[in-house]
Amino acid sequence: MKKNLSSIIQKYTMLIVFLALVAVFSLIKHEFFSITNFKNILTQQAYVIIASMGLAFVMISGGMDLSVGYQMSLVGVITSISMMWAKLPVAAAVLIGLATGIVLGIFNAFATIKLKVHPLIVTLGTMTIFEGISYIISHSNPIFNLPVSFKFLGQGQIFGIPVCVIIMAVIVLIASFILNRTYFGRYVYALGSNEEAAHLAGVNVNLIKVLIFAICSFFVAISSILLTARSGSATSAIGVGTEFTCMTAAVLGGVSFKGGSGKVSGVVIGVLILGVLSSGMQIIGLGTYPQYIAKGVVLLAAIGLDNYQKDSKMREAEKRIGA
Amino acid sequence: MEPVLSLRNITKVYPGVMALDNVSIDFMPGEVHALLGENGAGKSTLIKVISGAISPNKGEIVVNGTSYKKLTPLESRTAGIEVIYQEFNLIDSLSAAENICFGTRYGHLVDFKKMNEISRKLFEQFKIDIDPAAIVENMTPAHKQIVEIAKSVSKNCRILIMDEPSAPLTVDEVGIMFDIVRRLKAQGVTIIYISHRLEEIFEIADRVSILRDGRYITTKQVKDTDRADLINLMVGRTLNSNYPKRSSPIGSEALRIEHFYGNGDKDISLTVHKGEILGLAGLVGAGRTELARLIFGADRRARGDIYLDGRKASIHSSFDAISQGIGLIPEDRKQQGCFLEQAIEWNIAFNNIRNLSKNGIVNRAQARQVGEEYGKALSIKCSSLSEDVKNLSGGNQQKVVIAKTLATNSKVIIFDEPTRGIDVGAKQEIYMLMNDLAAKGIGIIMITSDMEELLGMSDRIIVLSEGKLSGELTRDQFSQNAVLDLASR
Repeated sequence: MKKNLSSIIQKYTMLIVFLALVAVFSLIKHEFFSITNFKNILTQQAYVIIASMGLAFVMISGGMDLSVGYQMSLVGVITSISMMWAKLPVAAAVLIGLATGIVLGIFNAFATIKLKVHPLIVTLGTMTIFEGISYIISHSNPIFNLPVSFKFLGQGQIFGIPVCVIIMAVIVLIASFILNRTYFGRYVYALGSNEEAAHLAGVNVNLIKVLIFAICSFFVAISSILLTARSGSATSAIGVGTEFTCMTAAVLGGVSFKGGSGKVSGVVIGVLILGVLSSGMQIIGLGTYPQYIAKGVVLLAAIGLDNYQKDSKMREAEKRIGA
Repeated sequence: MEPVLSLRNITKVYPGVMALDNVSIDFMPGEVHALLGENGAGKSTLIKVISGAISPNKGEIVVNGTSYKKLTPLESRTAGIEVIYQEFNLIDSLSAAENICFGTRYGHLVDFKKMNEISRKLFEQFKIDIDPAAIVENMTPAHKQIVEIAKSVSKNCRILIMDEPSAPLTVDEVGIMFDIVRRLKAQGVTIIYISHRLEEIFEIADRVSILRDGRYITTKQVKDTDRADLINLMVGRTLNSNYPKRSSPIGSEALRIEHFYGNGDKDISLTVHKGEILGLAGLVGAGRTELARLIFGADRRARGDIYLDGRKASIHSSFDAISQGIGLIPEDRKQQGCFLEQAIEWNIAFNNIRNLSKNGIVNRAQARQVGEEYGKALSIKCSSLSEDVKNLSGGNQQKVVIAKTLATNSKVIIFDEPTRGIDVGAKQEIYMLMNDLAAKGIGIIMITSDMEELLGMSDRIIVLSEGKLSGELTRDQFSQNAVLDLASR
């Protein structure tokens, strides 16, 4: 029961940290505490939250996907090329982009299953493959002047709410629903917690893995499309490095590296904490690089906290048996 | 009455060892049938055959009237056979109810209400109060075990195999577990109960079958037997007295530990004398290796003093231990004893590398010399000393590990299962080696699960049971029965 309490505290800890950061930055610079600023932060972080939803599936199942950033690069490039060079309608291009994402995800899954190696290593390899393909297709050139209707996805508003925020909210709800209310979602937790037990219980582990990577890459593709739409142009550099922000946010939000635990709400708060940190540091005049340091420190602290909690649970269990 | 499960002439052979030799046992419906035997008697192998994890080389398994040459895990589960292992097979991040119902689908979406209801009914049956929605990770081992039992019951198991179920439980919790077992029995479930705790067998079991060295000995009604009888049946073999004779004198105290606590061991005190081989016996999990690691400084002890040569010593790390003359030949030579990918001479010199280096640079010539010296002394069979250790036979690998320790001029050496997995010829060589070391005045602590080796090589025996010192035997008190009796208290 004590442990229940501490995991509840952890969930609220991050919420408290988030609110504390908002308070601190608002006190330093009053401009921070405004609807415009909060709307900005949400808009900026919308694509990160969506990508994090995808990565959360993979991480909760005990895996990892380092190739998220270059998946975004490749999907952004292919979507833009479909619109600008192949002159396809925006809807078709978006569908092609999403389909590309799913293909990349299935590729990751198959590589992991066939090579029988942890996805961390596998996606270390696939990420560079995707990078290469992306740069080849784009000829290392940016693709400008994307259609207005496409840019609406990233820059437009409906009833005053940015479109990308609406899409983000929908994705978050879908992700939460899948993880909590569907058998598939429970299998994701099961895989991360005890793959062998799941296997022995009759779960088709390989099939679930393929679905997990496919869903991850599908969400990542949506994220990429929104990001590209918001930027107004596509380059092979777009989205690169997003995986680290997503990982940090996930761990902050209670997703353990070992897998088997984590909630959607936690991940969202994790991203928002990083977003507030970033925006706040900017508003008080700190440049980009101090923000990198802050991000790195936060990740280390989050991992340290994660390990500490796992260790104290171990020690509790050992104490009990020794008794 | 027809048996619900019949094992007929089950034989399982592994390279070099006959794990099961023509074992036949009948299990009746609604009985609690205990399976008893020493370490290595074949209990685990038998369970794996029943659950379908492995296939026997010969024999048949008859369950529910159908005969099988071998079972797949799925066939075993379909036949109603469920196993609860010591380590539990639960999914920690899900709730009790989800674990119990895992694998079955009630509708398209997860129906928490229905799963909680099913689980609640099961817990009611057991008269246990557990919240079905509670996350397993936060549960006590006792509750986790009840969830495991509930899981098996929900799958309509007819034969429940419990492997050392009382290991993680306190005394009160064992009582609760027994109540559940009795309830299941009343429902007609057959329970195959594996435990080395004889008192439990007398309390809960109806019949008990004894295995020894892979062979089936007999089955008895629990009410028709007693502790001494069971122990006799477990060990009753003629001893092979083919151990090199020794007559070296035993000197003064070499190593003494007092009131050691740590790693699950409580209040252990013992003394090893110069030239003595002290056998350290006990069942798996009794805490022998744990004690060895505490003495060697590999794990930090919570409490306790250690004396070398009569003087108090400060040992807080394996570095301290080695530099003060304590050596450890670990249980698992591949994982803990040597560096498989490295050359023999590299391995032998390793523990002593500092003394072979000047200003941090290793004196290769000197290291090689040390390697040659010990390689010859121990007759390590190899094409050259620069051969990788992984290419050596088990026996020779073990010799490399011993050489590594000898090269540090130890005064006390702890051997943890020194001849495990080694052929008969190499075993003899290692016994002679141990005798030579003892003759030189080195004190030896020998941890072994091999009864013959224990009785044949030791001057004195100390028996551990569940982390505590159970007793000591002097040479004239040596007997298999005495050892096993102390080990299973």
